[in-house]
Amino acid sequence: MKKYLPWVGLLARLVLGGVLLLAGYLKAFSPDKSQMAVRAYEILPISVANFLGIILPWLEIGAGLLLLVGLGIRYASIFGSVLMLIFVIAISQAWARGLSIDCGCFGGGGKVAPGETKYLSEILRDLGLAALGIYLIRYPKTRFALEK
Amino acid sequence: MAQQSGGDKVTRYIVIAMVTLVVAVGVIFSLVGNKSSGSAQLPLNASKSDGYGIVFNSELSGVPVVDIWEDFQCPVCAQFEGLNGTYIDSIIKEKKAKVIYHPLSFIGPESVRAANASACAADEGKYLDYHRFLYTNQPAENSGKWTNAYLVVGGVAAGISSSKFEACVNDSKYDSWVNNIAADGAQKNINSTPTVFVNGKEIDRKTQYFDAAAFTAAIEKG
Repeated sequence: MKKYLPWVGLLARLVLGGVLLLAGYLKAFSPDKSQMAVRAYEILPISVANFLGIILPWLEIGAGLLLLVGLGIRYASIFGSVLMLIFVIAISQAWARGLSIDCGCFGGGGKVAPGETKYLSEILRDLGLAALGIYLIRYPKTRFALEK
Repeated sequence: MAQQSGGDKVTRYIVIAMVTLVVAVGVIFSLVGNKSSGSAQLPLNASKSDGYGIVFNSELSGVPVVDIWEDFQCPVCAQFEGLNGTYIDSIIKEKKAKVIYHPLSFIGPESVRAANASACAADEGKYLDYHRFLYTNQPAENSGKWTNAYLVVGGVAAGISSSKFEACVNDSKYDSWVNNIAADGAQKNINSTPTVFVNGKEIDRKTQYFDAAAFTAAIEKG
């Protein structure tokens, strides 16, 4: 059993890293939209939301790249899973307050028509990704990683 | 063995440095590119104190002030324009309201191009005609149809016959202004398009946007 763990870790790294990289890439070049997506959660002061809308995609890209090449796996995984858990909280509160927004995870974002929200699937997906991150924090030794 | 692990270490540092560089350069460029520019050229009737929007009837006082944020590529904005556009044009013409248009550009590069072209049309005194031309010829989002060449030809449809307009569209003369509008919209928490404020307050999204009578009432009430 033990000898399969590094392979599971590799898979977790590729999925979490790939998703982070893609999510960051899709948002990084449309900062207006990304800022709008963060503002639409109506949690943070507007200036903080706008700042986060710009830096978050690039941080995701950075963490995604590190996971894909297998460097600083533990740190990137902590970042990734904490981020996913924050998203889960943010989406849940939007749902609970009756906001109609798109999570803006992969670009898009902002207000949507009330019938077009996908809160449950967004939450489940982010929980799954958080679980991969937590696995990697626990077992950071994986196959084909740049780090030892 | 020691040699090899030393080599690994170097590789690791190089990779970490590269990733850090990508993130840092990305963040810096995005932050700088997103900032409002104090030296942006403004089209005719754009006013910094009105969020850089194109202002109609700025001389009036005691009338409702209507701010409209939209993205020329947004399909819902086209619906909104189809429903309320004639009424809005009429309150501008009859001097019943001060109306400020804020063309946002979050949907994509073609939104930036269209907003720039609309500013060029404002210089020719044809903003409203050009505005109508864009919405009646709105393609699917980011389809590639709105090239500068297409937008120049659109000027003719809006009654513009100056060569200045063509140069203005092709030179992206007002791109910094378009960016300033976006930055102002971000500060004012505009999270969807269209967004309409009457006297600084948003009208009700559920009932007053897509019902012509309710929209008219919301503006007349002030």
